[in-house]
Amino acid sequence: MIIIPIIRFNHKPLLHLSLLILVLFSSSIESLRFELQSGHTKCISEDIKSNSMTVGKYTVINPNEGYPLPDSHRFTVRVTSSHGNNFHYGDRVQSGQFAFVAAESGDYMTCFWAVDNKPPVTLTIDLEWKTGVAAKDWSNVAKKGQVDVMELEIKKLQDTVASIHDEMFYLREREEEMQELNRTTDSRMFWLSLLSLFVCLSVAGLQLWHLKSFFEKKKLI
Amino acid sequence: MDHDIFWSSDHPGIDFTVTSPGGNVIQSLKGTSGDKFEFKATQSGIHKFCFHNPFSTPETVSFYVHVGHIPNEHDLAKDEHLDPINVKIAELREALESIITEQKYLKARDARHRHTNESTRKRVVVYTLLEYILFVTTSILQVVYIRRLFSKSFAYNRV
Repeated sequence: MIIIPIIRFNHKPLLHLSLLILVLFSSSIESLRFELQSGHTKCISEDIKSNSMTVGKYTVINPNEGYPLPDSHRFTVRVTSSHGNNFHYGDRVQSGQFAFVAAESGDYMTCFWAVDNKPPVTLTIDLEWKTGVAAKDWSNVAKKGQVDVMELEIKKLQDTVASIHDEMFYLREREEEMQELNRTTDSRMFWLSLLSLFVCLSVAGLQLWHLKSFFEKKKLI
Repeated sequence: MDHDIFWSSDHPGIDFTVTSPGGNVIQSLKGTSGDKFEFKATQSGIHKFCFHNPFSTPETVSFYVHVGHIPNEHDLAKDEHLDPINVKIAELREALESIITEQKYLKARDARHRHTNESTRKRVVVYTLLEYILFVTTSILQVVYIRRLFSKSFAYNRV
């Protein structure tokens, strides 16, 4: 059995942000570690295509190794789609996971609310959110077909290429939509400025007509 | 280890800092609305990517961090058990991941442009309508003023 020398370096970036974070990864594995103060909210959003599998795991990092995690370090988590449907809810938990198939395409948001503690604590939450290719359970695929490691890797690459291809189509569609949008904005601007010229002239004409009749009534002309 | 990062936000003014595990600041940007760059990590460990919003308006930041894992050429040459195909597969995977990174960047830029275009469109309509209302109001005020100039109560004092 040949071991493939692909070292998955477990790289954990730590972020500190005002309010909302939008993450763009769709087929990669990365765990995100961020700080959350008591009583504050942080939301992480991701663009997921419909009918793609997504898997998420979240947990609080223990600041003191070896000691049990304090019970007051809890948070509430909710995963919602852009249409407002709730896909996962965890109330006052310390860790958990969720997995679902995205029914609709769009931005899915995972929001964390830290429980309000009297001496405000800063929780370090670790979130691992995988979608698309990375979310597929490759160990199951390997067991089922009794494929060897190399074939598995090539299957993974094939899936990755297919997802890249789909993304390209999506980008092409978006570009077309934007072109259409720009074209209609351009024509709209043209008609509106023509209309403004017309409005200007007609208003001036009405003014003159009105004043003329006013002065004639006053017998000044 | 190669790291590819890009980020963007709606308005300029976000500060961004990358700190290495040793505490050195690898990259620092102030008051920008986005950037794309890459760097090689000299130490392994937890790197910090910090965004700071000095203004009171909430901001949405989109970012992407890609960690490359190019197998060390030196180690590969030593180990004779390694099948060259596996090396090629590893290289392929790296290339595909860099394509994915570029694609994500394009997607982010496209979203940004779309947002700009939609807001331009809205603003065009709103401003033109305001302009019409302003025209009409100004002309009505003008007419009213001229009428008052010539009205009976004024006539004895002014005109």
